[in-house]
Formats: sequence, C-alpha cells, structure tokens
Amino acid sequence: MLSVEGLTVRAGSVELVRDVSFEIGPGERVGLIGESGSGKSLTALSLMGLLPEGVTAAGAARLGERDLVGVPERRLKALRGQDVSMVFQEPMTALNPLMRVGAQVTEVMTLHGRPAGQARARAVELLGRVRLPQPEQVARAYPHQLSGGQRQRVMLAIALANEPGLLICDEPTTALDVTVQKQMLDLIAEVAPALLFITHDLAVVASVCERVLVMYGGRVVESGPIREVFGNPRHRYTEGLLAASRLTPRGTRLPVIAGSVPAAGQFPDGCVFTNRCPHATPACEQEPALTGEGHAHACRHPADRG
Amino acid sequence: MRGRINAGLVIGGVLVGLVVLLALLSFGWTPRDPVLVDAAAKLHEPGGGYLLGADKFGRDTFSQLMVGARTTLYVGVVAVGIAAIIGTPLGIIAGMTSGRLGWLSELIMRVNDLVFAFPALLLAIMLGAVYGAGTLTAMIAIGVATVPAFARVSRAATMQVMVTDYVLAARAAGRRRTAVALRHVLPNISSVLIVQASVSFAIAILAEAALSFLGFGTRPPIPSWGRMLQESQELLFSTPRLALWPGLAIALAVLGFNLLGDGLRDYLDPKLRRIRAER
Amino acid sequence: MPTHAGTPLIEASDLSRVYHRPRTSLTRAGEAVHALRGVSLTVRAGERFGIVGESGSGKSTLLRLLCALDQPTSGSIRFDGQEITGRPERRLRFLRQSLQIVFQDPMSSLDPRMRVRDLVAEPLVALGEPVGGRVAELLDQVGLPASAADRYPHQFSGGQRQRIAIARALAPRPKVLVADEPVSALDVSVRGQILNLLADLVDELGLTLVFVSHDLSVVRHVCETVAVMNGGEIVETGAVDDIWAEPRHAYTRTLLRAVPTLEGFL
Repeated sequence: MLSVEGLTVRAGSVELVRDVSFEIGPGERVGLIGESGSGKSLTALSLMGLLPEGVTAAGAARLGERDLVGVPERRLKALRGQDVSMVFQEPMTALNPLMRVGAQVTEVMTLHGRPAGQARARAVELLGRVRLPQPEQVARAYPHQLSGGQRQRVMLAIALANEPGLLICDEPTTALDVTVQKQMLDLIAEVAPALLFITHDLAVVASVCERVLVMYGGRVVESGPIREVFGNPRHRYTEGLLAASRLTPRGTRLPVIAGSVPAAGQFPDGCVFTNRCPHATPACEQEPALTGEGHAHACRHPADRG
Repeated sequence: MRGRINAGLVIGGVLVGLVVLLALLSFGWTPRDPVLVDAAAKLHEPGGGYLLGADKFGRDTFSQLMVGARTTLYVGVVAVGIAAIIGTPLGIIAGMTSGRLGWLSELIMRVNDLVFAFPALLLAIMLGAVYGAGTLTAMIAIGVATVPAFARVSRAATMQVMVTDYVLAARAAGRRRTAVALRHVLPNISSVLIVQASVSFAIAILAEAALSFLGFGTRPPIPSWGRMLQESQELLFSTPRLALWPGLAIALAVLGFNLLGDGLRDYLDPKLRRIRAER
Repeated sequence: MPTHAGTPLIEASDLSRVYHRPRTSLTRAGEAVHALRGVSLTVRAGERFGIVGESGSGKSTLLRLLCALDQPTSGSIRFDGQEITGRPERRLRFLRQSLQIVFQDPMSSLDPRMRVRDLVAEPLVALGEPVGGRVAELLDQVGLPASAADRYPHQFSGGQRQRIAIARALAPRPKVLVADEPVSALDVSVRGQILNLLADLVDELGLTLVFVSHDLSVVRHVCETVAVMNGGEIVETGAVDDIWAEPRHAYTRTLLRAVPTLEGFL
C-alpha cells in the first residue's frame, strides 16, 4: 500500500527527519509516536506534499503505483484528498468558518470530479457514517455551531469522502476531551482504510494501532508490533518513555528521562539519544542502524528481552 | 526572536536613511546657501556649482532639498510624537477597560471616531486661520489628526495582549492595572506601534507637503518640499525640473516610510515568528 | 471524606458564575451561560486537593474564582478565614502573598519580552518586597542554573519554562500553590520531572496544593483528595483512591473508562 524509503526532510542545512523507512499494508493501522521535535508531523506532511516553505523532502514514498515525494505540486493536488487524506489536530482552524459543513464535505468530492448532486447526497451519507446524529441537520450547520468532537467527525467525513487508500491522522484527539476522544478513536479504527496515526500519547496509540514506529530526533529508533514494542522495548528511549508514561501511586517518585528534548538540529551525532541515555558509551557516537526483522531497534545497548 | 529581513525593509530603510542623511548633513554643510536670493543665478541650469540647478530667485535647488528634508523630518517626528504620546495611552486605557469600566472605553473610542472623521487638512487650515499658519500649527494639526490611528491600533493590540495567560499570571502575582499596562502591555504592543509610527510618518510628510503647497505650512524663507512644488507651479511647462525634484523627494520619502512600515510589520510580527520557531 | 486533620484554608460555599454571551439580536439579551452552579468545597492546610473535569466542566472558572481573578455571581470564598469575594485588588494583598498559581502552558504564561530574572521577581515586586538574592535561590530550588536569570523564556524548553513558572509562583513564599494543568502541555519524558519537582517542593515547603487536571490518573498520582466536576457542578468528591477504586457517580465511571491506559493492551 504505502512504502516509504529513506525519507529525509531538511530545512536549509538542518536535517529534521533522517532516513525514515516503513511500510503500511492495506487495512493496516500504524502508529507514529514521538515527542515535540521528533519529526513525526513533518514525516506526515511530507507524505501529503504539505511541507512549509523552505522545508524540503528527499527519498522515496510510494502509495500504490504513485510517487508522493519529489513530484510536482500539480500531481500532488490530484492525489491529496483522493488517494491519501489527512485529519489535523485542530478541527476549528481546519474548517472554513463561513461555509456550511455539508458544502465543505461536498466540495472535496466535486473538486475531484464527482457531479454536484451525487456529491451532496453522499455528503449526508458520510456525515452519518462518522456517527453524527441527524446528518441532514448537521450538513446545514456552520462549524461554530458544532462541538469540538463533532467538528473532528466532520473532518473525518471530509477525509473519507473520496475513499482514499490511506488516512493520516495527526494528533486527531489531542484537542478533545477524554470522553469524546474514546468514541473518536473507536470510529477512526473502524473506518480507516489504512491508517498512519501520529501522536505523542502511548496509550492512545496502543488503543488504535497494531504496529508502531517510535521517532526521536528525526529518526525511527524502534519499530514493530505494539505488543512487542511496548511489552518488550529494546531502545533505551522507548524504555524510558514507557516508564515515564506509567503513573505510579502517590508518594512514589516517577521514573524520568534526564534532561529535555533538544531543539531541532541540536541533537547529538551518532545515536540521537546519547546525551540523555543512562546506558550511553563512546560506542554510541557511531550512529546505530535500525536492525531486526519485525521488531527493529537502533540501539547499541538495547534493553534485555524480559 | 528576530524575523527575516525582507526586500521592503531594506529598500525602505535605504530611502529613509538617505533622507535622514541629507537632513543631518544640511546642519553642517550645503553646497550653497539655500535661502540666498541671487538674481544672477536665476533659473541657472544644472551644473556649474548648481547640482540640480537654481529656481526663479536663483536659490540652489539641491541645497533647498537638503534643508527641506530637515523640515520634513522635523514635522514628521513632532506630528507622530504628538499622535503616539496622546493616542497610545488612550488606546491602552480603552483596550484594558471592560466590564464595569466599559463606558470609559466606549467614550474614548467614540471621541476618537469624531476626530477621525474630521479631515486633517481642514483642521490644519482652521488652526492656521486662528493661530497663524506655520510649521508649528501644521505639526500640531497633523499630530492631532493622527491620534485616532494610534489609539485604534494600540487598543486592538492591547485587547489581544489582555487575554493572554501572561497578563492573567501578572494579575495573579498581584500586579495592579498600571503596572500591567507599563510592564506587559506596552512592551508587547511596541512592534505594532513602531509599524504604525512609520506609516503615520509617511502620511505626515504628505500632509505637510500639501499644507505648504497651499500656503498653510512652513513659511518662507525656510525651505520645504511642499512650498518648492508650489513655487515651481507657474514654471511647470518652461522649467519642469523645478517641480520634478521636490516631487520626487516627497514620493521617495513617502515610499520609503511605507516600505519600512510594511517591512517592519513582517519582520516583527510575532505570528510569523512563531511559525518559524515551531519548525 | 477527606481524612486530613488540617484546618480549613479555602472554604468555598455555593459558588455560582453566570456569563452572558454577546447579544445576537437587538431585542433579546445575550444568552446566559451557567459556568458554575452552586459549588462548595473545602481545602485544608497541607492537603493535596485535585479538581478533575473536562472542558466546559467549570474547573477553570472555579480556579479563577479561588484565585480572585474573577468574581462569582453569588456565593462566598473564605481564604484563611477572610472573605475574598467582592474585594478590590488593593485589599487582596494577603491572598496574593499566600496563594500563587502555575498555569498550564508556560509558553503563554511567561511574558516573552521579560527576562527570567524579572519574571521570577514579579510577584515580589508587585507586593513591594525586597528581591535581593531570592531569584538565584528560587532558580536553584527548581533545578535551574543561576545563569538562567539573564535569558528570555523562549530560550528554554517547555519543561524548563514550567520550572521558571514554578520558581515565580514560589517567590513570595506562599502557603497555597494552585497548579492549573501544569503538565498537560509538556512532553511525556519531562512530565515526570515536573511532577516529581512539585511533589518535592510541596513536601519541603509544607505547601497546600490545589491541582487541576483533566486526567484523573495524574491527579491520583499527585493528590489525596479529589473533586470531580461536570456541567458546572461537583458531582463527586472524596479520597482519590476510593473514587478510583469505586466511583459512585455515573460521570466519574464514564471518565475512568474513557482514559486510555497502556496496561489494558499489554
């Protein structure tokens, strides 16, 4: 379905994403985990051809038969919303406040050549499919008349309108309340054809995806099936992140990762985690490769299988 | 913290810098006495000690332009100064008062609208008629007429600052209104004010030129670009260069300040800056 | 019931706050929004009190009222025995001295144009107290080098900025620290550092902590008592461990079920 090979994203001389490779099969749900500055959102944006000015992507990404990286904007426009579509974090800013919701869902279909009448009928159908109650009424509403959760469902309906082969979600529930988040996650897992799900929240990824890529400092440091990676982390960063995510009972110290995430371009050479890693040795100055079948990691001193 | 240098900023800066340089230079040196009437040099062609020629009284055009730049900047600084000193506090007060004191904000802004609706040139002509025309009345009139512009932008910017968390945090720390205004609001709206000052400066230059042209601005013999234009009027067809040079000077100075204002807006805009910071 | 023996420090009773939406019609007044409906709570000295709720639950409104940054429509709040509602700012000095806040997003709660030195000293300056060597002392207390004082907030990472915000809050040696979602804008790998720091400071300085969060599991780690808010009301209050083990209100149960956990999948 989607295959990414050696994707590198640069802003000037600063490498923000380095040599990222992964594949997503049809119907597969893959999580991309990382903290701020990990390069996870840039990875997604480069697949959509939506990188900001001054930021360029190199490498190869193919969706089915089509190239996504290094093709002219005109070709990408045809792909975007048709073969691959994206749901963003902020549903309020992603919708046009002056247009009725139904018209916005319709527009994405007419843009890709569907007759208007047919598109309008299908828009209502789509709004129903993302479980919005009374879809006919919702179609006539303006974005500000809907709640955050409802707006995000509209975004999902727009993303699904042209039956894309791949859905990319970038922190789609971060701005939502926990009780709304759960329904949204269940819905995404149910309707996504193939999914690339980007988040900083380990528990969220665990509830949606089957496979996960852990990014840090612009690189994939560990990847594999969720159960393997979370149950048996090999990279010291993944290990630390998992430990830091578990809230221990009151009165106990939380395990922490020392220091803070460096700013873009200021990660150490070699293994990007060396300056915060308790297990780092001089050997880590050589960049470790991502190795392993299925469950891969890029660490010179991996955690024991336990 | 700094934005990207853009072409407008550079070109605007160079043009404004040129005007400032000419004006500063004129304090110490001009090629000839700018106000010396010399019948022998009447309508002297460019060259021979007269770089841009001389006017119908035999005064050196280039020297007059240099001293005229001084007048122009002088008027701009004082007019914009008056507008900023009166308008900014009013705008900040209007932006900070809401709820119980909302009427104060309303009052300030409605009076503001009233002044805004009154044409600056008319105000200058009225003041000129009452107190006598001159550079000072022109400056005051232009300044007063520019107050609403400053009050409006500072009110809008203040309202944006007032809803930020750091103002809430300052209040929670026990800061009173005045301290919030001086410590938090003013520094954070300063970039907007700098841009406004630059744009208002351009408008003030134009207004002064117009007033001098109409005879309500700078009095003779002090050189002024606007009056140079007016004096060249009758010779427009026989000696067009007399109108060309002051006209060009006004156009370039106005363009310079406008470009500088636009360039500064892009350079200082915190939103553009934030986008860069996130990348 | 909270088992704490401390004396009541914050007593809020029957707090209501009604906002009016801007009018959309000339003939009708703007719609009234009931952000808080008759909320009462007591925070005792030395207690770690959690407030949990989602957006629109009224927790932010309650917080603003407790910090006297907004006035209730009705009801009263007593701090250390003194009524704080209806007072003008100049008569709130005792509250500003004894109660300080750490906000959610240290990116926006620190004035970008001020140096760290001035930010940390601001509560002292506002109270007219001497600053002296207090800034360096406070920075040290939150684990930042003294050299941080000369820099601007944007030169720090999110976690470091939150440390600056905590140092600032501690400046006037308050009795109560109010933390409004202090870790929800932070990366997971630094969240633990800030929670540990808060726990240490609360212990060392004998602070009373009011901790607001949307995440019951964070509150469970930090607090002993919790009030669960929904629709402008406190729907359930008591010891965190009891509520975690056996939620009585339907909303609390929904909330607990909705929080995704790692354990559930492994």
